[in-house]
Amino acid sequence: MIVVREISRSFGSVRAVRDVSFELPAGQIAGLLGPNGAGKSTTIRVVTGCLCPDAGDVGVAGLSMRTSPIRARRQIGYLPESAPLYPEMTPEGYLDYRGRLFGLARRTRRQAIEHVVERCGLQDMRGRRIGHLSKGYKQRTGLAAALLHDPPVLILDEPTNGLDPSQIREARSLIRELGTDRTMLLCSHILPEIERTCDRVIIMAGGTVRADGDPDELVRRAPGPDRYAVEIRTNPSARITHAVGVLMRVHGADDVRPTGRQPPDADAGWSRLTVTAVPGAADLREAIAGAAADAGLFIRELRPERPTLESLFVHLVDEARMESGEAVLGAETGAEGGVP
Amino acid sequence: MKRALAATAAIAGRELGSMFRLPVGWIVIALFAFLSGVVFVNVALTPGSPATLRYLFTTSAWLLIPIAPAVSMRLFSDETRSGTIESLRTAPVSDAQLVAGKFLGAATFLVLMLVPSLSLPLVLWLISSPAPDPGPMVSGYLGLVLVGMLYLAVGTLASALTSSQTLAFLGALMSLILVMLLATVVAERAGTTVGPWLLKLSVPRRMGEFARGLIDLRQVVFFVGVTVWLLVLATRVLEAARWR
Repeated sequence: MIVVREISRSFGSVRAVRDVSFELPAGQIAGLLGPNGAGKSTTIRVVTGCLCPDAGDVGVAGLSMRTSPIRARRQIGYLPESAPLYPEMTPEGYLDYRGRLFGLARRTRRQAIEHVVERCGLQDMRGRRIGHLSKGYKQRTGLAAALLHDPPVLILDEPTNGLDPSQIREARSLIRELGTDRTMLLCSHILPEIERTCDRVIIMAGGTVRADGDPDELVRRAPGPDRYAVEIRTNPSARITHAVGVLMRVHGADDVRPTGRQPPDADAGWSRLTVTAVPGAADLREAIAGAAADAGLFIRELRPERPTLESLFVHLVDEARMESGEAVLGAETGAEGGVP
Repeated sequence: MKRALAATAAIAGRELGSMFRLPVGWIVIALFAFLSGVVFVNVALTPGSPATLRYLFTTSAWLLIPIAPAVSMRLFSDETRSGTIESLRTAPVSDAQLVAGKFLGAATFLVLMLVPSLSLPLVLWLISSPAPDPGPMVSGYLGLVLVGMLYLAVGTLASALTSSQTLAFLGALMSLILVMLLATVVAERAGTTVGPWLLKLSVPRRMGEFARGLIDLRQVVFFVGVTVWLLVLATRVLEAARWR
């Protein structure tokens, strides 16, 4: 439904997007992730036809953005970041205007407006000035405008930006619902957002695509060693170093260190440790439990810490930074991994 | 084709509606009505003066120099600043339609702004004898509309070039004043080769002919031609913005 072929776009000497390609089949909800300045917005602007790429092309429902831009744009419903609207208009007036822009005849326009007003919960606000609406209602008005002409492709840039938690939940279920019969490209830097709503994630950093695929699959294939969170009790006088020493002797353990925050009953000898396995090691849980038992130490929690989408994200972003020769900020967070 | 016209009309309609939803539209209308009324009372209503609106028309053309940029400054600058331009650029409308719609909206507003001033010839009609000649009034209004369109086109181009309304206003105003100076002060001193050419740029001279009751096709072609040329330039500016 959406085909992006090797698009590149520069602004002056800054290459915002380099050779980005991806393809979304009909009915897929894909999330575009990346830190600020990764080229997400530029990619979205090129896909929606707002900007022309320096190289490459975008196809929407089989129509090329280069050769038939007007018809291609008709296939897209687009919610720009922070939903810019005309404050002096009412949601109803604005929707009517958008309907005219998309060439909807009067009767279809009326029906379409009723439909989207209901779907986006704008019934009580349709006659108020947009400038007087709350952020949430403005966002809904923008979304209603994007849905108005019933496009097969929806592109939403930061759809939950500035919404409160209950509104975010509503928006998320609405997006899920809309995604059942549409192809959707969702841009966000909120990771749980993407994890919960998307069938697929595309992670961008430094203007290129760094990872692309099913979120669970990506996380499973994510590089980086396995880690285990352990809560263990030693003799209070022996302190934490004793526990570290015991676990270091576990075959396959590469590193053992205390976790940032220690449990409240640390006085009683309880401590929280993170065991990092050597790359490629098998499951260490049994070995850890065995070593503790042999040394006469109690374990009350032993939990593998899988890489999350977040740790993968941080890893990819750091990689991109390293390549571009920037100072490796946040490398420490990358090493911690899996911190919610 | 029908769809394209409908979209252009939608843009024009929204623009016109916004003028009346915002204070700026009403202020401009009131200001023009007041100033043209003052001119009318002081010039045309002087006892013993001929029953003509000639000076009203020439002075109104001067009034348009600050008024037209004030009407056109919002057209694109406001959309660029607020970000609404993005949803327009991704709508199925071409940049030419966008410029045409915006310009038509502003032009319609300018014509509506002239409506209250129609009461002035009516007053003249009632109180003067012999009755004034209707011909120069028709040509005068035509001239005023043509001058207004030309100034609005300058303003549209300025608005497409910047996201600041203030800059768009000042840019258009300064360009109009610059051309005015070229066609008057500079033209007088420019000698016999360049001088006559600069004189051709003089909008008040051309407007003067309409005010006298002359509808010269060459003048109409000049105004319409330059207006269209400026709008094409504005379209090119918008197209270039997709590549910048």
